[in-house]
Amino acid sequence: MSNERQLPDELPYQRMLQEYLSGELRVLNAYLPCEQKSLSNLLGEEYPNVVCNDGSTHLFKRKELEYLASLLDTGEQKALLLPMLIEVNPGQGEVAIVCQGKVEKKVISKILDMPITTKQERIMIYKPQLALIRKLLKTTTQYLFAPTIK
Amino acid sequence: MPQLIRVRPTKIELIKLRRRLSLASRIRKIVKDRLSILMLEFLQIAKETAAAREKLLVEFSETYKALSIAAGYHGYIALEKEFIATEQDLGIITGSRNIAGARVPSFELKEAERAIKRYSLVDTSSWLDQTAQLSGKCLEAIVMLAELQSSLELLGREINRTKRIVNALEYLIIPGLQATIKYLYMKFEERDREEKSRLKRVKVLLEQRETAA
Repeated sequence: MSNERQLPDELPYQRMLQEYLSGELRVLNAYLPCEQKSLSNLLGEEYPNVVCNDGSTHLFKRKELEYLASLLDTGEQKALLLPMLIEVNPGQGEVAIVCQGKVEKKVISKILDMPITTKQERIMIYKPQLALIRKLLKTTTQYLFAPTIK
Repeated sequence: MPQLIRVRPTKIELIKLRRRLSLASRIRKIVKDRLSILMLEFLQIAKETAAAREKLLVEFSETYKALSIAAGYHGYIALEKEFIATEQDLGIITGSRNIAGARVPSFELKEAERAIKRYSLVDTSSWLDQTAQLSGKCLEAIVMLAELQSSLELLGREINRTKRIVNALEYLIIPGLQATIKYLYMKFEERDREEKSRLKRVKVLLEQRETAA
């Protein structure tokens, strides 16, 4: 073998790449919230926020919360858990919004202005629709990457 | 040409390399997805930044117009007297939000403090009210633009970083692993061929010995 190199661990460049990759996977879902809070609870807080898995806080914008509140009645405000999670599956053209109840379905349906169907507690949407949702709900939605590493 | 990784030509190493290749391919898919999400957000924020900048310019020009009318109506001295009374600290709620692993700032003006008018409503006209209202909108636009601008920069940096990772995977790590796997297969085939020819040679030698005996 004429162009043989050292073992990957011995090469500083390769080692750096491996560290990069492990760091990449570490940060992938580290920012997800430890717990979701209901919309009615968040509206009652002075600074509406949730604590993330990495210890940081995720701040919600009051305007967005008020916009969501305008779409829902009081009972539904208690049922809507925030931030809503947008699941991204590798290699797929569409993304899924994790939908635990009917409230998420109602919110997304009103934002997209079209009827929505759920499948296995997920609302499947395409990326142009995702852009529309993210434009209105910047802080009240979060991405969740679902890697399938065996 | 992809760089070969120096490994012992054994089946165990081949299995390890194949596992590493499948993991690297999966990671590439995930990182590429993350990159596409970051790009989507970046384009969205870029559009919003352009719109916010335009809006800010329009609002500034309207505010200056209203201010000049108010100054013409009240006079600069009277107006300055009112402005001194309205001076207040700007209340901004600052925090952060996360876009697919990229931490970006989040700013929001405190509504309650801005709602209080501190100038004399008796001594002033509706021109000043309009100016105050428009300047409030300007403040809101400035804060929004600040958030968008910094988000845009941070997202740009994150996209660059992620692109480097994707490129490293696509052009360095995965081709290197594939080339090494291919090399190991060739090595095993070569070993098989050597083994076959050795057996044939041994067989010939044995046959020669038998005939000699």
